[in-house]
Amino acid sequence: MTFVDLLPLVMFGTLAVLLFSGYPVAWVLGGLGIAFGAIGMYFGVFSFIEYFNIVSRLWGTAAESLILVAVPMFIFMGTMLERSGVANDLLHCLQVLLRRTPGGLALSVTIMGTIMAATTGIIGASVVMMTLLALPVMLDRGYHVPLATGTIAASGTLGILIPPSIMLVIMADLLSISVGTLFLAAVLPGLTLAGLYLVYIYTRTSITPSLAPPLPDDIGPANRAALWTMVLRSFVPPILLIVFVLGSIFAGWATPTEAAGVGALGALLLAIANRKLNWRVLKDVSERSALTIGMIFGIFIGATAFSYVYRSLGGDDLVHHYVTQAALGSWGLLIMMMVLVFLLGFFFDWIEITLIVLPLFAPIMRTMDFGDHVPEATTIIPWIAILLAVNLQTSFLTPPFGFALFYMKGVAPEGVKIQQIYVGIIPFVILQVIGLMAVIGFPELALWLPESMLD
Amino acid sequence: MQFLMGLSVALDRLNTHIGKLAAWLLLPLVAVIIVDVVNRKVHFFSSLAESLKASGNVAAGELVATYLTSTKFQDLEWHLHAALFLLCLGFAYVRNAHVRIELVRERFSPEVKAWLELIGTIIFLLPYAAVVLYFSFEFAMRSYNMNEVSASLTGLSHRWIIKSFVPIGMVLLLLAAASVAIRNALFLFGPSRLKRDVRRNAPELHVAAEDLRTVAQQEIEEILDTEDHDDTAPPLGTSDSSRERRT
Repeated sequence: MTFVDLLPLVMFGTLAVLLFSGYPVAWVLGGLGIAFGAIGMYFGVFSFIEYFNIVSRLWGTAAESLILVAVPMFIFMGTMLERSGVANDLLHCLQVLLRRTPGGLALSVTIMGTIMAATTGIIGASVVMMTLLALPVMLDRGYHVPLATGTIAASGTLGILIPPSIMLVIMADLLSISVGTLFLAAVLPGLTLAGLYLVYIYTRTSITPSLAPPLPDDIGPANRAALWTMVLRSFVPPILLIVFVLGSIFAGWATPTEAAGVGALGALLLAIANRKLNWRVLKDVSERSALTIGMIFGIFIGATAFSYVYRSLGGDDLVHHYVTQAALGSWGLLIMMMVLVFLLGFFFDWIEITLIVLPLFAPIMRTMDFGDHVPEATTIIPWIAILLAVNLQTSFLTPPFGFALFYMKGVAPEGVKIQQIYVGIIPFVILQVIGLMAVIGFPELALWLPESMLD
Repeated sequence: MQFLMGLSVALDRLNTHIGKLAAWLLLPLVAVIIVDVVNRKVHFFSSLAESLKASGNVAAGELVATYLTSTKFQDLEWHLHAALFLLCLGFAYVRNAHVRIELVRERFSPEVKAWLELIGTIIFLLPYAAVVLYFSFEFAMRSYNMNEVSASLTGLSHRWIIKSFVPIGMVLLLLAAASVAIRNALFLFGPSRLKRDVRRNAPELHVAAEDLRTVAQQEIEEILDTEDHDDTAPPLGTSDSSRERRT
């Protein structure tokens, strides 16, 4: 092979190195696309006019796409729910309800993470938010530090998996499968993980109650009526909203985009009902959402430029060549993919990983065959997508690099040591691995729901 | 020097203003989706068109029947989405909202960060935005010249308008790049009395974790501050005010 044949590999290697310069990922991707186009021109394998295709690609994939309209809507919905205090009220309400249960506060955090999985879905942001909301309270109550940090990190990252998740919308779009299918496929694995966390926290704190001192009885409202009012006001509405949004997608009443729009309106109405909506909040939520949207689609179009040039230089063929030569078989390839994504998850958020790596995997995924394990060819891609999602979440949590842990350390109160965070996350990483193995071993966990609902 | 500083601030403000205005597109986007969803269930606009025609207002009826249809609404949805994100690319850059891999970078001094930003802008962002600008201009022009309309016959016409947002977004991104490059160059080569000012205005030179913490902390305070929400309260925990606080 000549140097020109290997250009796509050089391109990827350069990307891997240059991303660590800390220059925005979006512009490194786009800039490398242009630069390697120029190198290709020098070697006569790329022509200047091909750059035009970058524009039509980015137009076709990022702009003229009704599916991706769900992304700004879910971001707006999540930011609004968070900013209008709905998440915080929910946490408070759960605490009161679970105050007599062992580990009540930790259980509340997990449940909130599961329900509020909608909130923005950007790992850094949601871990930071959960840490600031819950960690000081847990430390005040004398919670065992590793248990507290582990619970928060694991629950804060659950959002990428549990629908409505922006990551799943983008994955579905890139893999050309339906968002509804992927959402449905994620429900049981997501709830399994949340369930594993809950069981673990409950068992561990029942055995050693000193890890999680009970909350004082007086934290809640004085009487039963006031308690029920609180439940009705802060617990029921967000759950109804999420159930309604997901339900309308699953029942086929609305497309994910429409459901996201309805969810955005619902979040606005909830903010009004909580008397939290005013001009300032609305402006603030819109601007924050706009920044997140600019960021996500910046990477989207940068990655489009990068992968167009990469393909044009023969990247797909090169990968195909190596993949065939390696003769790993479908299982071997799957394991290779999972290991690669796991390692990448140490350094990158899902946005970069899905947008850069998934297009690379997509053609390989289409050729895979797992025989009787996953009999229907059409369900292989959703299954692998869910595996990748659980895998990514695990990777964000795994010390020493786990990226959620860094964010957590950054905002945790003084005195919380990184060692405590590492120790605390280990049981949850083990639970993640159990969950991952379950979805690998029993594909039905992911595939049963979409099959039975969408027939 | 003062002129360059002023130019950088002006370009930053331009992008910020446009980004903040574009952020409001989220609300019409919600509205269009809701109107479309509701209308598809209750067929409000088609019955309105019928009744207008029946009452003799044929022209108005035709207008409603032609323009207030689901295909048009759905075209409008992605039009709004495209305009929104294209107008916010530069906004997100001047506000340092684009994702970076901080693993190595967080250990660098502000000087090294400024050098990296300057070099990165010149070798990555400028060529990228310039090439995309050049071809997207052609892209929009082609659309204009062939009078392109929606692929679905009943969709929105004048496709060139929304396609023009690609070159507009790229111009804004280039201006944002200029703003960031100038402020980093001033930080490196400008007179020392300017340095502090420059650094305050350049979020990319701050310690990322600290900024994250300050902004998030303020946001939490806002959320927890449940009682009064009148407009006389101090401004929100935007990153602008957090920057002010650090000096």
